[in-house]
Order: sequence, then structure tokens, then C-alpha cells
Amino acid sequence: MDYPIWDLAFGGGVLIGIVAIAHVLVSHFAVGGGIAMALVETLAVRRKDAALRQLAYRSSWILILVSTVFGAITGVGIWFTIGLIHPTATSALIRTFVWGWAIEWVFFILEVATAVAYVATWNKVRPRTHLLLIWLYAFAAFMSLVVIQGIISYMLTPGRWLETKAFWDGFLNPTYVPGLVMRTGICFFLAGAYMAFAALREQDVDARGRLVRLMASFQVVGILVAYGGYRWWEVALPEPIRALFLGASPKLAALAATRSFLLWALTAYLVLVLFALVAPRLQRWPVTAVALIAAFAFFGGYERLREGARKPYIIRDHMFSNGVLVSDIERHNREGILAHARWAAREDDGSLEGKGRAVFRAQCASCHTLDGYLSIRRLLASADAAMVDMILEIMHEQGNAYAGGALPDTTTLDYPAMPPFVGTKEERRALGVYLTTLVPAHVAEVRHGR
Amino acid sequence: MAGNELIPALDPMPVPGPLWLYHVLWVVTFLIHILLVNAVLGGSVIAAWAGTARADRRRTVELLLRVNTWAIPLSITFGIAPLLFVQVVLGRFFYTAALLVPWWWLGLLGLLMVGYYLNYLAKWRLARGEGVRPWLVLQAVCFLLVTLIQVVVNLLHMQPQRWEAAAGGLAGALADPTLIPRFLHFLLAALAMVGAMVAWVAVRQAARGVAAGERQELEGMAHFGVKFALYATLLQLIDGFWLLFALPEEVLKGFMRSGPAAMIPLTLGILAGVLLLVFLAQVHDPLAQGGKVRRALELVVAATAVMVITRHQVREVYLAPARAAEELITTAPWGLIALFLVIFVAGVATTVYAMVRAATDRPAPGEQAA
Repeated sequence: MDYPIWDLAFGGGVLIGIVAIAHVLVSHFAVGGGIAMALVETLAVRRKDAALRQLAYRSSWILILVSTVFGAITGVGIWFTIGLIHPTATSALIRTFVWGWAIEWVFFILEVATAVAYVATWNKVRPRTHLLLIWLYAFAAFMSLVVIQGIISYMLTPGRWLETKAFWDGFLNPTYVPGLVMRTGICFFLAGAYMAFAALREQDVDARGRLVRLMASFQVVGILVAYGGYRWWEVALPEPIRALFLGASPKLAALAATRSFLLWALTAYLVLVLFALVAPRLQRWPVTAVALIAAFAFFGGYERLREGARKPYIIRDHMFSNGVLVSDIERHNREGILAHARWAAREDDGSLEGKGRAVFRAQCASCHTLDGYLSIRRLLASADAAMVDMILEIMHEQGNAYAGGALPDTTTLDYPAMPPFVGTKEERRALGVYLTTLVPAHVAEVRHGR
Repeated sequence: MAGNELIPALDPMPVPGPLWLYHVLWVVTFLIHILLVNAVLGGSVIAAWAGTARADRRRTVELLLRVNTWAIPLSITFGIAPLLFVQVVLGRFFYTAALLVPWWWLGLLGLLMVGYYLNYLAKWRLARGEGVRPWLVLQAVCFLLVTLIQVVVNLLHMQPQRWEAAAGGLAGALADPTLIPRFLHFLLAALAMVGAMVAWVAVRQAARGVAAGERQELEGMAHFGVKFALYATLLQLIDGFWLLFALPEEVLKGFMRSGPAAMIPLTLGILAGVLLLVFLAQVHDPLAQGGKVRRALELVVAATAVMVITRHQVREVYLAPARAAEELITTAPWGLIALFLVIFVAGVATTVYAMVRAATDRPAPGEQAA
């Protein structure tokens, strides 16, 4: 809100989504892959099984090329992206969890060093040293998940942190453990899903069957753990969030559809994996690819659901998605939003329309574009000035509901996914004037004619 | 100061820990990061320059590609810590600077990724006896651009008075008289360090006793490294003074008035540079003068260390007017800080132990390898 606004035609949220989804699909494999490779190589050494050893060897190249290169850079990429799209929220997260991130960084060092060493020392060191490297990698990678889960889940369910502002209250929030269990399951099944491709490259038919079955077992365990974790996560959610997508009449139909989609995706994935478990010799790469897509669909669906359920907040019950703090609503209403949005206020050329444009940039532009993603022009295509005013009035009233002390149940609001309008009366009028200029002329004429 | 009206409000949340601790951790982790960055940047440029037409050059390129396999991921990982600490202390300056050149800032990641993958591609092609020069050049360009973007954002975050102009377009963001000398300062330091490193590795390998043909290769490699380090240091001395005197007048004066705490690291840095030049100029037969080559490498690292302190101090002077009224509230979560320090020590010790074992635990003849 108080920063320069990056105009992205496809929307900042979409960019965060692209970078974040790309990262989590790889980073969860990096965690699960470490554990899977450690187990596979341990079995290979104990049983003197060359096929298992080859599986670990081939998979380690996926690990290094996909995880430590793509995973590491997209991980930093999420930071870069949220810093560009939501600098206020990023700053708040950093101030709250800097020591958590610092601890995670220590595990990164161990993770990256052991990953590179593991791949570089095939055929060079004794097996016990090689196993030490991969087990250390698996430990470090899993610990990085243990840390980051506290920060991710805090954004949806900050729990007692809202009163105490204490690190541990935010970190060990209500959905921390269920989410961790679910993500652990996801790590397992993604490891199995990726490594299944490496298993299929085995030339010996008998050995290939064994490897495919082993990877299918990994995935079955992962799916069951992830499903249990997911159900637990749903139970652990506060009632107002559950009401958004659960129950007989969910408040946000799109989120309810996402939930349904992800559970069906997981079911389809389980069926495909059971097929590999029962008939490993019949397994071919297209089936493995479809299974991987189903795995991605479940995971991507879950991330979409988690993000969607957080609306209209970026840190639930604390900060709205446009960077306005719940505790600042009254102040902004009194002093005006533009008094606290230096960069947006540059748009104010003294005219009412200019002021309205500035207010739009301060409060709306972090989610809405003019013509691209969540296009305000498209959303207002059938509105006239009176309707725009009415919408803003309702959104302003929603602000009063938030500022009233006890936080409202967002599902009872007219615009449950939108932050309230905050600002002075004049700013609201100016925003109305500006928004009306975005409505196509013919619509305004028709309305006027009526 | 004019332009300060665009500085976003201070984050109302307190800083969890004493500021001095953040500054210490920031400087220490940045030093490790920049040494690794030097290896990546200098290594990629020198590899592109060297090519593989001659045996000694091919050997140099092989070494640099091997080093970069480690240095690239580790430099990214060690970059996380200073990135974290700058956001704690100077978040509102840093985010604004990045937002003034958002595509470039985000594009930096793409360049890093391409540069990283090119390293594996070049290694793979070299092992197959295929040409690598174009890929090495492309990789060097990627890392040069990454450096340039970092320098641009760094300069912007220190100068809120330039934000208005920078918001007007890229030309405004680039219009800083210290941009070129600062960029060259990083590049030349990287070239000097990697040049000295190449020479030192050749000295070490030759000391193990090698055949005559191989010794000739190592000799060529060592000469090449020394020459690179020498010319880079020579240019660095000129560029260093260019950078110093290109600083805005109030920054230069403010820095010079900062007393011994600022003057000692700066003087030591310049002294280390001059000594480095003296040592390198004396090296005529690097394989026979291994001690001098080693001193040269140590001096580059030492000069980098003190210059990291100077860089941090100059930033403070740059930002002093903009932060004059800043009152950061701090808390002291000592339990959490202690937990971090314990995990840090244990993590680094475990990493070192694992790396030493990976480097030394070789199977006996006839014994099975992993």
C-alpha cells in the first residue's frame, strides 16, 4: 500500500501462484526424494542389489538438477516475488519469523552441500560415507519443511499470536501439525511419483517390476498420510474458514469446487498407483505421467484452497490482502488512505478522478488490474455510478464491522473475499468517480436512459 | 533531504533482536556470500576468456566448471542470510528499490538459473569432447547481468532522493555516477581472486609431482591465473579511487569524517591491494614461487573482507539523512537467538564434517565404492 505498485497485466497473485506452485512441486520432491533415496540406497547396500543402487544413482541426478538448481532458485524466487507484490506483508513476516528463517537457512546449507557431495561422490567414497551424505541431506531437507510449515500455516491460522505476538504462538499455530503431516505425505508420494520414471529405465524386466512396486508403495503410504493430514487440517481450521468451503451450503462455491476437485484427484491418483502396485510389469511411462499429473492436481488444488480460504486477508485477522492492517481501519477512515500511501498519492493530480485513481492504486491494485486478471473494468461492466457508490458504501460498512472490536465472521459479509474500503468520505467519492470512468460508455448511457 | 517523502512508513512491528547482532550477522554472512560470488563471477568470465583451444586453458576451464558446481548453489544459499537481514533492518528501502526495477529484479532469478544449468551443460559437453566456448560466454553474460542488477538495486536502496527519477524509467534507475565504477569494483575483485585461485591450484597440483607434459600445462595455467590477477588488481586500484571520488560529495565527506572505525578498514583494504600488486608483480615462475602465489590469494580474501566492512559503513553514511528520524523498536528474544546460534554452530560443524569425509574417505584397493 505504501510502496510503488507493480502493474502486472496478469496480476500479482497469479505471478506468486506460478512461482510458488513451481517451487513447492519441486521442493516437496526434494524433501521426499532425500528420504526415498536414503532408504533405497540403504536397501541396495544391505541386499547388494545393483538395480536398487542404479535407481538411487539415476534419481540423484534428478535431485541435483531439479531440486538444488530449480528448487533453490525458485525458493529465493518466492521471496523476491512476494517482496514485489506484497512488500508490507513480507516485511511483517520477516519481522515475526526472521529467526525461523535463519534456522531454515542453516538447514539449507547442510542440504545443498550434502546434495552436491552425494552426486559428486558416486563410485568414489565408501558406501557408509555415501549413505551418511544422503541421510544428512534427508534430515536437513525435512527440517527445512518443519520450519517453513510454521510460517506458511501461520498466515492462515495465526492463532494465539494475534494476542501475544509471540514467535512460538505464531509458529505452533492450530494448523501447523496437521499441515506438516499432510505435507510429509505429499513429499513421500511426490518422491515415489518422480522416481517411478527412473525405475522404468531399468532394463531388467524382473528388477524393473520390483522397483516399480517399491515406488508404488512409497506413493501409497504418501497418499494415505497426505489424506489423513488433509482431513485433520480441515478439522483444525477455525469454523469461519471451514464454512467457506465445507458443509451443506459453502459460502464460496469456487473453493468448495476446488476441494471436491483435489479429493477426486487424490482418489484417481490412488487408483493409478494401486494399478502399479498390483501389476508392476504392465506399468508404462504414460500411466506414470498421468499419476504424476494427478499428484500435482491434488497438491496444487490444496495450495489454491489454502490461499483462497485466507481471503480477504494475507495474514488472517491481522493484515488484509492489500496491506491494510485491521488495527488501522479507524485511523485510515479518519486521516485518509492517501496520507499513508505515498506512492499511490502521486497519482492524485488534484482532480476528483485523479484522487480516485490514487485511492484505487492504494487499495485495489494489489489484486485488481484494469484489463487483465480480476479486471476491474470487466467486473464493473454492468455497473453504473449509483451501483458503484452502493458497493463502496457496503464495503465501507464492512470496515466498520472489522473495526468494531470482535472480528466479523467473513462469511456473513456481502463481499467476503474483499478487504473493506477504508478512507475518508471524499476518498470514497473520488474512487466512485474514478471507477465510473472505467465503465464502458454505452453501459452508462443505457443506464442513464433507463 | 529532498526525495525522502517517498520513503514508506516504518514497519510498526518491532525488530526481534538487537540491531548490532543483525549488523554483525549481515556482514559475516555477506562476506561468505561475496567470496562465493567472486568464484562464480570471476570463474565464469575467466573460463569464457580462456576457451579450450590449448591444453592448459582446457585444464583451467575444467577446474572452474568444477568449482562453480559448488560455488553457484552455495553462493545462492549464502545469499539468503544477508537478504534476510537487509529486510529486517532496511526493508522499506530495499523493497522500494526492487520495485523500481521489478522485471530486472525478478529476471535475475532466470539469469541465475540459466547460468547454473549452463555450467552443467558445459561440463557435460567438455567431458564428451565437444565445443563449449559459446556456452561459457553465455554463462559469463548471465552472471555479469546478475551482478549489474544487484549493483543497481543496491545503489537505489541507499538513495531515496533518486527514486522519483528511477520511477520514470530504466534510464533514471541507471543514472548514477558510481554505477560503472562500483560494478567494475565487484568484477575486478572477482577476477583477481579467481586468477590467484587458478594459479594456486596449479601450484598445489604441481607440488604433488606430475609428469613433464602435465607440468607444462600446470605452468601455463598458473601463469594465466597470475596474469589475470595482476591486471585485474592493477585496474582495481584505478577503479577503487574512481569509485571513491565518484561518491556523492556529502557521502564522501561523511565517510571521511567517520573516524578510525571507517578509516582503518579502508586503509587496510587499499594496503592489501597494493601489497597484492607487489606480490603478483614478483611472480615470474609461479610453480617455483608457490609461497608468493598463496600470499596473493590470502591478500585478495583479506582485502575483500575489509572492503565488505567499508561497503557496509558507506551504506550507513548514504542512508543517514533518510534514517535520521527513524526509531526502530527492538525486542530481545534471546531464547530464540540462542536456538539459532546453537543450530548454526551444529549445522556448520556437521556440514564441515560431512564434506571432509566426502573428500577423504576413499575405499582401499579391492574394496567396494558407493
